[in-house]
Amino acid sequence: MRRVRLVSILAAVVVAAACGSTGGGGTPANSYSGKTIKLGAVLSITGAGGVYGPQSRDGMNLAVDEINKAGGVNGAQIHLDVKDDASLQSQSAQVAQTMIQSDQDLALLGPTLSNSAVAVHPLAESLKTPILAVSTTGIHIVPDCNFPKTDPCKFVFRDSLGEETAIPDNIKSYAADAHPATGVLLVAQDDKFSSDGGKIVQATVATYNINLLKVIKFNKAEADLSPYVTQAVAAKPDVIFITSLGGIPAKIMIEARKQGWAGQFLGGNGFNTATVSKNAGAAGQGARSASAWYLGNSFPSNADFVNAFKTAYGHDPDQFAAQGYAGIKIIADAAKRANLTFSDLPGDREKLRAAMETVNIQTPLGPFQFTSTHDVKQTVWIIKMDGNGGFTLVHQIS
Amino acid sequence: MGQQILNAIFIGSIYALFAVGYTLVFGVLDILNLAHSAVFTLAAAVAYTLVVNHGQSFWVACALGIVIAALMGLVIEYLCLRPLRRRRAPPIAALISTIGLALIIVAAIEQGRPGTLFSWLWVDGANPVTMPPGTFPNPTWNVAGLTLEGAKLAVIPISIVLMLILGYVMRFTQVGRGLRAVAENPRAARLMGIDVDRMISLTLVISSALGGLAGILFGVALGDISPYIGRDSVEVRGLAVIVLGGMGSIPGAVLGGYVLGAIEVLAVVLLGSNVRAGVAFAALFLMLVLRPQGLFGAQLRERL
Repeated sequence: MRRVRLVSILAAVVVAAACGSTGGGGTPANSYSGKTIKLGAVLSITGAGGVYGPQSRDGMNLAVDEINKAGGVNGAQIHLDVKDDASLQSQSAQVAQTMIQSDQDLALLGPTLSNSAVAVHPLAESLKTPILAVSTTGIHIVPDCNFPKTDPCKFVFRDSLGEETAIPDNIKSYAADAHPATGVLLVAQDDKFSSDGGKIVQATVATYNINLLKVIKFNKAEADLSPYVTQAVAAKPDVIFITSLGGIPAKIMIEARKQGWAGQFLGGNGFNTATVSKNAGAAGQGARSASAWYLGNSFPSNADFVNAFKTAYGHDPDQFAAQGYAGIKIIADAAKRANLTFSDLPGDREKLRAAMETVNIQTPLGPFQFTSTHDVKQTVWIIKMDGNGGFTLVHQIS
Repeated sequence: MGQQILNAIFIGSIYALFAVGYTLVFGVLDILNLAHSAVFTLAAAVAYTLVVNHGQSFWVACALGIVIAALMGLVIEYLCLRPLRRRRAPPIAALISTIGLALIIVAAIEQGRPGTLFSWLWVDGANPVTMPPGTFPNPTWNVAGLTLEGAKLAVIPISIVLMLILGYVMRFTQVGRGLRAVAENPRAARLMGIDVDRMISLTLVISSALGGLAGILFGVALGDISPYIGRDSVEVRGLAVIVLGGMGSIPGAVLGGYVLGAIEVLAVVLLGSNVRAGVAFAALFLMLVLRPQGLFGAQLRERL
């Protein structure tokens, strides 16, 4: 009897060892097949962030569709649930909590706005759920999502280009090209993304010998921005820096051109969507920003994405669509290597988090990896508005 | 400074035109119609959609936008106000029902995307849009350092003339006398043979048409049409204007609009851009403390 038990134990050890050997680099297809990987995306489909959220959603849905049609993640289908946070911080946190605790999603993407991320990311961190920011570019998104606490957030990742990289790169690039001497900053003071951008501009200009003549703060819900633009134009700057969301950059550009100002507009991620370029029209021609993505890049992972997006939606994607698409591909790659059990959600979330740290794939953004602080490591594209709703490439910063 | 004065007169005209509609309903019904800002948005959205998605001329689109806004006045009356009035519901109930309608209108617009239920109304979701260049004549002149833009300049006489006409109608015509009688005492007006319900419907039609026109002028002149222009740009300011001018007073709303526009712009010039909203509402607070009835209002009675 003892011998039988010993043989049984030995057999169990052998089986367990065999199963263990498939972890990491192995193929956990058996445990994945027929299963569902539940993901949740908290996006701003309406409200101030509604300029960006629908694009992120379309990019994500395209990636999910492609992966599922190609057999899924080791046989598991991805189910993506997109919920609108109406660009409100409180609603964003509420939606995220529902997805994590009630819906039992494996991981989350979003939220669209940095202003909402300060509520959602600490929540995901505390509930030990991986969350990938696909459009939040403000300060203290990664790794210190609990700022002013400086402990790195283990579960928070970002595939969007932070303004701390984008704005200085853009200013540096323009300063090298045109040597501007003076500038005025127009900054929306009532959201984190915009005010962070303003702080970065103020901290950067002196490095490139640009004298900031005036900092003009406003609120996004102003009926008419003309009084602010009149102030900016009266200072006769070489450059007007704009850090704001939604349709506001375009409104400022149009008004400044009407008032006869002919200088250069410089901005951040708030410029990088076709809606802003289209609304600005001829007034925006030449307005420069640093982007995580450029439509005209011909490397295969981007060309394929652009073609598939145009086929699916009938129009060009933008940076936010590319980042949303890349976000799903990143999580799918991590899930593929994470050896998920589909029975132990906390354990699976931890496995996915660990696997995300070693992502190394081709995306429309270019070759993609995370830095040790979970931020994006990628090429920066300096682009300018073409006056017809699109953008052209000015420089590439590796 | 000259440019800033022009800025103040322009935005003051929009505030005044919008607030006149607000105050008209308050004067007659003693309630705040908080769907007024949604009508402002709806008219601008309709005008834009007719031009861009249905190929209508700008002038036809504007006219239809105002007609739709006027019809929304009837919807507000028949859906939100009359049923509650019949049941003698307190004014707060009407206030809440108009808020509800406003939320529904804004939600319908922001859900409008190609292929959706509301795509006939709007296809740009939450995106802000502008009328395509060349849709309407908009010459710009630079005179003595001032930028004079046709669309913005036109807003000023249009607003002033309409407000004068409204003032004339209210003061010197049979309809105006009827409306004022209803405002003074609906029961007595009914006993005098005035069709009170008809007068209230008429009030809402005029009020909403003015609100719709304000929305179209705002959207066209500022190049900003989105589901949120009413809520973000004029809703609270409109309330401030009618408090400033005196609740229910049409001349008060006109003056209040220009005063608020001037205060906002002067705050930017003299005190710094970041205090604009604070200064405007501090002035409002001061007015409430020193003269609760506003510039032109009678002593406040119990009203919402």
